[in-house]
Amino acid sequence: MREMTLSTVDRLGTAAAGAEDVFHMDEDAFRLFYDRTARALWAYLSRATGDARLADDLLQETYYRFLRATAPLQDDAHRRHYLFRIATNLVRDARRRPRADALQIDDRVEHADPRQTHVVEGAAARVDVRRALARLKPRERDLLWLAYAQGSSHKEIAEALGLKTGSIKLLLFRARRRLAGLLRGHERG
Amino acid sequence: MDSPTRDCPREDDVLEAIARDRLAGVEDHLASCAICADLAAVARALRDDHAAACREAQPPSAAIVWWRATIRARAEAARTVSQPITILQGVAAACGIGLACGTATLVWPSLRAFAAGVDLVARLDARRDDLAAVSTLAAHYSLPLLLAVAACLVIAPFAVYLALNDE
Repeated sequence: MREMTLSTVDRLGTAAAGAEDVFHMDEDAFRLFYDRTARALWAYLSRATGDARLADDLLQETYYRFLRATAPLQDDAHRRHYLFRIATNLVRDARRRPRADALQIDDRVEHADPRQTHVVEGAAARVDVRRALARLKPRERDLLWLAYAQGSSHKEIAEALGLKTGSIKLLLFRARRRLAGLLRGHERG
Repeated sequence: MDSPTRDCPREDDVLEAIARDRLAGVEDHLASCAICADLAAVARALRDDHAAACREAQPPSAAIVWWRATIRARAEAARTVSQPITILQGVAAACGIGLACGTATLVWPSLRAFAAGVDLVARLDARRDDLAAVSTLAAHYSLPLLLAVAACLVIAPFAVYLALNDE
């Protein structure tokens, strides 16, 4: 295939100039929505994957897919729910191709100033939670995070994870009991 | 801690108490209900971890995410636009190869006759009859060959111009 000349690039660029028209939001609306959701989304992605760098990549991908969504999104709650649904699917895809550097436990406990006892205790407790979460099945982790960190309803969780709404209560009960047991184990250890 | 039942009617109270940081009001219940004790332990741990993760999170700015999305959308649109050009190039290449094969098939008899003529000249005994035969052969078979060469010379510049022209 022949190389593209500058004028070819210009021509294609002009043809593609209105590419952002495919986004269902303009830049200002996106900025507002992003500022409301980005931190929570990053928190979910980082805990669900256990990898901060992967969370960065997935964050960009999630918003890109969100912007190109063709589904009608009525209100902010619906948009937010849809965003987390995309993120959940991306996390699931990412789990199918595991990375060697995944599941990094925060090392701030080792580097914290020992005089700041509350900081060390807080960080240690968070590491315990992350270790305990890492020992759960991915679906249990998603269920618990969406329910208790995100505050999603059973219906929203079911839609995000592709489960039946009626089964969420039982699955949550089991996952909760397992995580509580692991946390108690960490407390004792 | 195993319980025959899977839910407690006071779960919502416990969740609300956690959300408002007022666990004191449900402490008696937590001491006697394993389900709510698990719920409280898990919900508090995840809520605190969520808050910490949100504080630690350093997502890129909205402007950067928007810019990257725009660049990607443009690249995808450009790829879509250039797809027919690529297909057209493939079709043109296939046509060119077909034309070359066709021309070779047409010209092949002339080439063989030309080779026979050269062979005859090589074995020429300087006799007048042989010279006449060579001349006849050359006049008979070289015409299509010359026409093919001339056609290539005329068509080639146009083909090169069309291939390299961007407009």
